[in-house]
Amino acid sequence: MSLRINDSVVWQETAEGVSLYDIDTGAFTTLNATAARIWMLIDSDGEREPIVSKLSQEFAGGNTAVSRRIRADVQDFLGTMIERKLVEEHPA
Amino acid sequence: MNRAIVLGGGFAGVLAAAVLARHADDVILIETDRYPPGPRPRRGLPQSHHNHVLVTGGARALQALLPGTLEALYARGAHRRGLSGGALILAAQGWFRRIDTEAYLVACSRGLLDQVVRERALGGGAVSVWEGAQALGLVGDATRVTGVRAGRVGGPARTFQADLVVDATGRRSKAPRWLAELGAPDVEEAGVTSGLAYSTRVYQAPPELAGGVPAIMIHPGPAQGRPAQGATLFPIEDDRWVVTLTGTRGGEPPADEQGFTRFARCLRHPIVADLMAAATPLGGVRPYRDTANRRRFYERARLPAGFLATGDAVVAVNPVHSHGMSVAALGALRLDRELTRRGFDPSLTPDLQAAVAAEAETSWRMAVRQDGGHAGGADERREASAFERRIRTRLARAALSSPELAADLFHAQTLIQAEARTDTSSRSRALRGEPDPLLSSPEAIAQFPGLHAWWLSRSIPPVTPVRVPVGGEIPRR
Ligand SMILES: Cc1cc2nc3c(=O)[nH]c(=O)nc-3n(C[C@H](O)[C@H](O)[C@H](O)COP(=O)(O)OP(=O)(O)OC[C@H]3O[C@@H](n4cnc5c(N)ncnc54)[C@H](O)[C@@H]3O)c2cc1C
Repeated sequence: MSLRINDSVVWQETAEGVSLYDIDTGAFTTLNATAARIWMLIDSDGEREPIVSKLSQEFAGGNTAVSRRIRADVQDFLGTMIERKLVEEHPA
Repeated sequence: MNRAIVLGGGFAGVLAAAVLARHADDVILIETDRYPPGPRPRRGLPQSHHNHVLVTGGARALQALLPGTLEALYARGAHRRGLSGGALILAAQGWFRRIDTEAYLVACSRGLLDQVVRERALGGGAVSVWEGAQALGLVGDATRVTGVRAGRVGGPARTFQADLVVDATGRRSKAPRWLAELGAPDVEEAGVTSGLAYSTRVYQAPPELAGGVPAIMIHPGPAQGRPAQGATLFPIEDDRWVVTLTGTRGGEPPADEQGFTRFARCLRHPIVADLMAAATPLGGVRPYRDTANRRRFYERARLPAGFLATGDAVVAVNPVHSHGMSVAALGALRLDRELTRRGFDPSLTPDLQAAVAAEAETSWRMAVRQDGGHAGGADERREASAFERRIRTRLARAALSSPELAADLFHAQTLIQAEARTDTSSRSRALRGEPDPLLSSPEAIAQFPGLHAWWLSRSIPPVTPVRVPVGGEIPRR
């Protein structure tokens, strides 16, 4: 399954994180630094596994409990973004 | 036999009384003022010296309530101007192109509007109108309002029984205090200052332009931190124009003649000053300062049955939005529908109050968002980020020439469409494509041939074209 930022989203990296504008709904969203990092990985890597493993490398330092939490947080975040139609997931 | 008493015979009170006369056996309207014999301003309505336009949502509601009213207004000299097809508008980002949307405004003096509406609403004789009488309080207890105390202005007060009492005494309504005197709970209030001041003067149009000018609106520029200054010129009946200058704190329009003229001349474009110079002033300059957004959340309190409030007494927004009368008309239409559906039952006033408040919600939210306040709901206001401002600026710039975006904007402003926008492809184009070129001032004025011919014929040299730069590039992702 591949992840893709929806065409209806205009976004920009800012000092605080990432700012999004959804053309379809007219809603603005601001992502904090952690969410923004996931967002950038969706843009560059476009798949769940590489996103989780890159974040684990960056933040877990081999600690499996932290890795598990990162995986859960990423899944949660992606779930919300897909539900809000800001991100699309397609068969690869 | 049931009786309804309406307090205040302004726009909201007259329409509420006309509606109630269809559902109650006896309707009395109590108004402090004496109505003038002609279409003139009156003492109880100090704002009637200032411009009053009816926007589409209100015009449609008025027509639904009192069919034929718009035709009667046009026959008496009111003008309909399309937005932006019949309006020359310099918005913060530049001049609007002429675009036909469903949105329009009806321009005439407040005196004419009130007179025509009064004739049609009260002319049938179903409402007893007590002019020169003042409401002084409510009668009843914390569970039920059973009447009002009222009397001739300056005379003794008497009690009048009623099954339903409707407060339509406007912005300065004393109803929350009157309810508290009956032991009812406090009514939550919200106020958001606009900081806006008005100065208005009426002019006789020069013969060569009589009746022919578009509505003209010069909005403040995008400069942040400086007072926002603007002007409107609306054609009204009898070949007159009503010119209103507006300014926020530190940049208020003066109320003396020379200052008024100077202020108009210093705006982003002098077209209003040029027209003023060619016209004949009728009377002096009138200031108005009480422009705060004010709301009384009657629908949130457990109020006695048999009491209802409407019009500015409930929600009064910054007049710059031109919404007050339209919201009153929409509220009256809703009241009519609710009474038709449920019947005349004073125990239903909490539901009626909620319905009237709902009709004011869009206008209230729009007004307080613009004036930087809280709408009084669960959502807390936050400062717009630089990104958000850039997106909004870009969309606003695109609306100057995009039929879809202009329609979205004007439909929302004239209360015929909720703020949710429908067209996404034009928004996408606006954010990702090259913006259309801005109109120069001569190009904008040339959209109105009559005005343009007059403007070129003046001996004054033409002014430097205004092309307002818009800040910041939007990422093309
Ligand atoms: C400067 C300015 C410009 C405006 N421009 C526009 C515009 O362009 N478009 C628009 O839609 N709206 C505009 N408005 C808003 C509009 O004036 C009001 O929304 C509208 O008048 C509301 O009507 P109302 O009947 O609720 O109150 P009002 O019109 O204020 O009427 C209240 C009535 O109650 C009477 N009264 C008061 N106390 C008592 C009492 N104790 N007993 C009996 N009678 C009483 C008064 O004499 C008055 O007749 C503007 C307002 C201002 C201030």
